[in-house]
Amino acid sequence: MTAAKIIANEIKGYHRFVQFLIVLVALGALASLARFVFGLGVTTNLNDTFPWGLWISFDVVTAVPLAAGAFTLGAIVHCFHIKKLEPLVRPAIVTGFLGYSLVCVGLLLDLGQPQRGWHTLVYWNPHSPMFEVSMCVMAYTTVLFLEFLSPVCEKFGYHVPMRLLRTLEMPLVVAAASISTLHQSSLGTFFLIAVDKLHSLWYNPLLPLLFWLSAMCAGISIIIVEATMSHKYMGQPDEGELLETLAKILPWVITVYLTVKFFSLFALTQGPLFNRPGLLVLFVVEVVGGMIIPLFMLMSRKVREDGRLRATAAWMVIAGIILNRFNVSMFGMEAPGTFYYPSFIESLVTIGIIAAHILFFVLIAKYFPIFEHHPETVDYSIPDHFHKTEKGHAHGAAKA
Amino acid sequence: MSSENQDFNKSKAFLIDMTKCTGCRGCQVACKQWNQLGAEKTEFFTGEGYQNPPLMSEYTFTRIKFRDYEKNGQNEFAFYKEMCMHCNEPACASVCPVGAFKKTKEGPVTYDADRCIGCRFCMVACPFGVPKYEWSKALPLVRKCTGCYSRVKEGLKPACATTCVSAITYGNREDMIKEANKRIAARPEKYLKKLYGSEEAGGTSVIYLTALPFDELGFKPVTKRPLPSYTWQALRLVPGIFLTVGSSLSLLSWFNHRKERIAKEEEQRKSGATPKEES
Ligand code: SF4
Ligand code: SF4
Ligand code: SF4
Repeated sequence: MTAAKIIANEIKGYHRFVQFLIVLVALGALASLARFVFGLGVTTNLNDTFPWGLWISFDVVTAVPLAAGAFTLGAIVHCFHIKKLEPLVRPAIVTGFLGYSLVCVGLLLDLGQPQRGWHTLVYWNPHSPMFEVSMCVMAYTTVLFLEFLSPVCEKFGYHVPMRLLRTLEMPLVVAAASISTLHQSSLGTFFLIAVDKLHSLWYNPLLPLLFWLSAMCAGISIIIVEATMSHKYMGQPDEGELLETLAKILPWVITVYLTVKFFSLFALTQGPLFNRPGLLVLFVVEVVGGMIIPLFMLMSRKVREDGRLRATAAWMVIAGIILNRFNVSMFGMEAPGTFYYPSFIESLVTIGIIAAHILFFVLIAKYFPIFEHHPETVDYSIPDHFHKTEKGHAHGAAKA
Repeated sequence: MSSENQDFNKSKAFLIDMTKCTGCRGCQVACKQWNQLGAEKTEFFTGEGYQNPPLMSEYTFTRIKFRDYEKNGQNEFAFYKEMCMHCNEPACASVCPVGAFKKTKEGPVTYDADRCIGCRFCMVACPFGVPKYEWSKALPLVRKCTGCYSRVKEGLKPACATTCVSAITYGNREDMIKEANKRIAARPEKYLKKLYGSEEAGGTSVIYLTALPFDELGFKPVTKRPLPSYTWQALRLVPGIFLTVGSSLSLLSWFNHRKERIAKEEEQRKSGATPKEES
């Protein structure tokens, strides 16, 4: 069989959902091709009054905190030495690595001159938060890649590099946490320059700190959701107990976040808060629905112990943070009377990027030992049906 | 970035006296000619008033905005030349990751198209909405008024200032501010007692004099503080935070792992065995 045939056969064996993801990714790729052929002006709804749109708001500003699971968990597990959470680390690293790689893709698409991306490495401007973020994202993607190499080496049985990676593990974890702290917060710094542009509900000098704190909330919630989902859909064991521990940490972080948020809102904000009813609604939904309600939910033991409720609360936090990033980078930036909404092609690209993330995660989980803690019992192939594996049905792609 | 030790008073600045502007749009044309900018298809009343084109764009670095208003029961026009303000401490220069913008010692803020990666942060950052993008191109760049740097550095005046018969004066910033105050003092009933640009965004190289309240003309209220300082107050902490987080996490993990290490060594010593493989 030729390589192409092998691949085609392999793909035929995938679950329909996975095939659907492949289609979405292909559409996204086509859409991004269109962007380069026809130009940003034609394919997007961006213009001189609204130069940053969906790709910055979602693919960069939102995707970065959503990929924060890796550094949060790495720090919790290794630095605070809470060993029992260790089984969650690898999936988190894979998610982080994918997330960041796709952030880079999103960023390149959005750049007017992507072929000059390397200029950030040559022409330094330390006064620019964008410079800082792009350096950090590059550095962090490398770190995550190195961390991700562990399961790869394991899979192929490369012992020497594995040794090396083991030695590097701690420095990498520390590097990951410090680099993340910087760029997670610098994403907030981006908007500090938008004085008089970003609405005062979100504009305040502590924006970087808030971005960092909420990134940690996002990180923890993502881990909860991810573990719950891979238990439910990918036949991974129940990590309930571990997630309970995380669910106990989360309310603390949320509380700190909310404290800083309200302090900065009432003590440091200049300018009117209540002059734009639409924005006010968005703000209330973000804070109440995305932070306060899940905070109260997670304070009750019943919620923390119930897998479903716990995941629901985590989802709410995630939704709150997504809304927060959109509020800061999109809704809050729109001048009264202007309105930006993403074009069809912009949306297609973003959907493709999200689909690619899920797709690659599923595929990596299929071929590499990232749920490594119970190697004997697990067949890494994707079950044919997401709820239960049908017995006797030959997996088209069981070879891994 | 650039500019901390520069003496902005010695750099060149525009003084634009809008009471003297007749709305001939000679500056608009001169700018197009000097910068070889393409034509734009325009229609009347696409913008807010009579002005054309409706907005600054990749083809229009400067334009005259028209405002009609009522004075003593009479309809009157006011004109406002819109262009890059050439800020003393430009936000565009401070946020550009590759340093494509530069405040020159002569005054103009220049843009190096060969460096630009097209991230459009400058557009987000500029408080006056000046940098425009080549939305028509597949690989677009930023466009904006250059302050005619190529002319200024040879000792010439900018094209628009050369063309204008009366409303635009060009010279040392200090002299321009003095001149403006002189005009206000000479005819206090005519001028508003405020110079737009003397303090806006930390001071700019374009100073406006008008008879009408600035907000009525469509001037944006802009903070008096130089914009780069807003982000710098956070960014300057970066190395410190990096080192603090890095070292405290290292210490923390070292301590937390120490106990385990000690226990393991003990065990090994007791059993006298060779060190065990970890994986
Ligand atoms: S007006 Fe805008 S583009 Fe011009 S120098 Fe100032 S910040 Fe830069
Ligand atoms: S678009 Fe170009 S000039 Fe503007 S900030 Fe980005 S790299 Fe700098
Ligand atoms: S200074 Fe030069 S580039 Fe700027 S508006 Fe005048 S003519 Fe145009």
